[in-house]
Amino acid sequence: MGRGKFRIGGMKYETLSLAKINLEDERFRTSFHPDLDRLILSIKKVGLLSPPLVCRGDKGFILVSGWKRVLACRDLGLPAIGALVTGEKNGLRLFLLGLYENLATREIGLAEKAEVLSKLLKFGVEKKTLLRSYLPLLSLPATAAHLEVLLDLSKADNGVKEFVGEKELPLPLVQSLLQFMPVEQKLVLPLLRPLGQNKQKEIVEDFWEISRRDDVSVQKVLGETEMRQALGSPKLSPLEKAEKIRSILRRKRYPQLSSWQEAFASTLRKVRWPKSIAIQPSPYFEGEDISVSFRFKNEEEFKAGLKKLQEVSGKQEFSRLFKR
Amino acid sequence: MKAIRKIYVDREIYSFPLTRTILENCPDVPFKVIRNKREVDEMLASSADPVGEGKKYLWLTRQKGAFVKPCPCTPHYVGCNYFIINAALNCPLDCSYCILQLYLTNPLTTIYVNLGDLWKELDAFLRQKRARFLRIGTGELSDSLALDPITKTSGELMAYFRGKGDVSFELKTKTTNIAGVLAGPASENTVISWSLNSARIAREEEKGAPPVDERIEAARIVSEKGFPVGFHFDPLILYGDWEEDYARVIEKLFRAVKPSRVRWLSLGSLRFPPALKPVTEKRFPQTKIIYGEMVRGRDGKLRYFKPLRLELYQKIVGLIKYWGGDQVPLYFCMEDTEVWRKALKKRPRRKEEVELILSPRDDGSRSLT
Repeated sequence: MGRGKFRIGGMKYETLSLAKINLEDERFRTSFHPDLDRLILSIKKVGLLSPPLVCRGDKGFILVSGWKRVLACRDLGLPAIGALVTGEKNGLRLFLLGLYENLATREIGLAEKAEVLSKLLKFGVEKKTLLRSYLPLLSLPATAAHLEVLLDLSKADNGVKEFVGEKELPLPLVQSLLQFMPVEQKLVLPLLRPLGQNKQKEIVEDFWEISRRDDVSVQKVLGETEMRQALGSPKLSPLEKAEKIRSILRRKRYPQLSSWQEAFASTLRKVRWPKSIAIQPSPYFEGEDISVSFRFKNEEEFKAGLKKLQEVSGKQEFSRLFKR
Repeated sequence: MKAIRKIYVDREIYSFPLTRTILENCPDVPFKVIRNKREVDEMLASSADPVGEGKKYLWLTRQKGAFVKPCPCTPHYVGCNYFIINAALNCPLDCSYCILQLYLTNPLTTIYVNLGDLWKELDAFLRQKRARFLRIGTGELSDSLALDPITKTSGELMAYFRGKGDVSFELKTKTTNIAGVLAGPASENTVISWSLNSARIAREEEKGAPPVDERIEAARIVSEKGFPVGFHFDPLILYGDWEEDYARVIEKLFRAVKPSRVRWLSLGSLRFPPALKPVTEKRFPQTKIIYGEMVRGRDGKLRYFKPLRLELYQKIVGLIKYWGGDQVPLYFCMEDTEVWRKALKKRPRRKEEVELILSPRDDGSRSLT
């Protein structure tokens, strides 16, 4: 777009000095420190095609919509940008302008949805209306329980919100994470960062359940010698540390199951169970059955597999596999 | 019924006799006749605790589906061929482990008042199942007697089943609301049964239910009136002093009730779908029972790791045999053949075999085994 002023709907297109946009005023902001690299590249190559929306405030212009675009332009060192200036004064109506624009143009993450709901509440929308109208609008189940979790998320530390946004955590995992005290959340987050969602869920649940079961804090659990050694080890990468902590937590959370698993593995080692033959007890030892499988391409390989099984079953320790 | 704040009445069934009985028995509770309950559903959905809130309201309506259904049990475990009568849904008691917290899409305490349809359905059902011993009861989706002071239906149900010798009808409760039961003559095929637990679990996890001692006293009164009685130690829960605490209850039970009057006694350990955990955590933040060493069973529910369950059952069975003798008919609820074999020395492969274990003998209340 060229320089100058003209009207679009009830708004004026103006070229504004970036310094005149008060980025400290975040009343309409719902996004968190997004990754701007691709947007920066796009603006560098083809310019800012879609102007942000601003309104007039006491200390310069207030950004209503287009945080990523403005931050990208700032990072590029642009002195001025084209923007739409609205004369609208009502806070809620301004916020809705930005919300509907975002809903129409991009995916909104969970942390951002939480921020949207919290801001709507601040702009005077009643909880009843949030439930009836805005949760469905944000593709969320319209229940009070979901609303409470999201409002809790909106109050969480920025680090947590960024993490939720960056890792696209699902709502149940967010809910579990928010059960911790803020100081505990800070301790747990670095362990979650290198892991996938299933393992993240496992760690969060184990920490929570151990601390509830034993009436101890997460700090205390992490302060135990084995944990401290794992966390302090210079040889372990962040992923290895997270895996190590996960395995210690599993043992603490499920001591009997862990000892059965260890005993089963130990028997396999003692009988020198052949690596080419898979052996699996019933999940969690719930059933008495054990399954064995191996692959073969011909009669010879099949017979070789059987022979190995025959040899193993003749060993003294073999019967331990069936001890329950 | 102090806990009931308001009664919502489905306009269709306003004139039904049971509706009138309930309203007459709740003179201080406001009621509203409504065409549909959307407004009530919306009110509950906007509550932070729809399950707890639903317990404060009664919804009187018509059972539009079947009243009688086979007990769904759980896949991959041994069932007992029980049939359930769904005459009510939800109950005023609030147990932390109750799976209805998760299963009920309608959390209102609901009473189906079209009893005329129930009798017709039961007639047809019993005709179809004749020549076969049958166990049937009302205590699956609600407590059988919790609402009896206002519905007074226990007497009608007992009267219906009286004389139907090939059917054992069970009223299962945690309450001491036995006035309706005692009002009529005792019947050998009506089993009044109690869910029991340790005093601590009853106190901490079964909100609104009377203490275990009072339940046992109610069982004593009912059994002395001439009714056979049943007991359900379910869910058995592991915690620090579980062995001593359960031993105390079992001793009290058999000091109060003659073992020969016990028609059946079931055992089941704590189990629930994983999705119940966050619900219980939110509604009962003090509870720790959900943090036991529980793993996914073959039915997908969380249950104690098998060796822990076996130890629990073997000790409880030992205590029951010590205080109640060998003749008390025992069975497991939702357990597998390994548990049956190791804890009870029985090998039922199918639910019909469990049914046989629990069928009455000619000489009183003992089983066929």
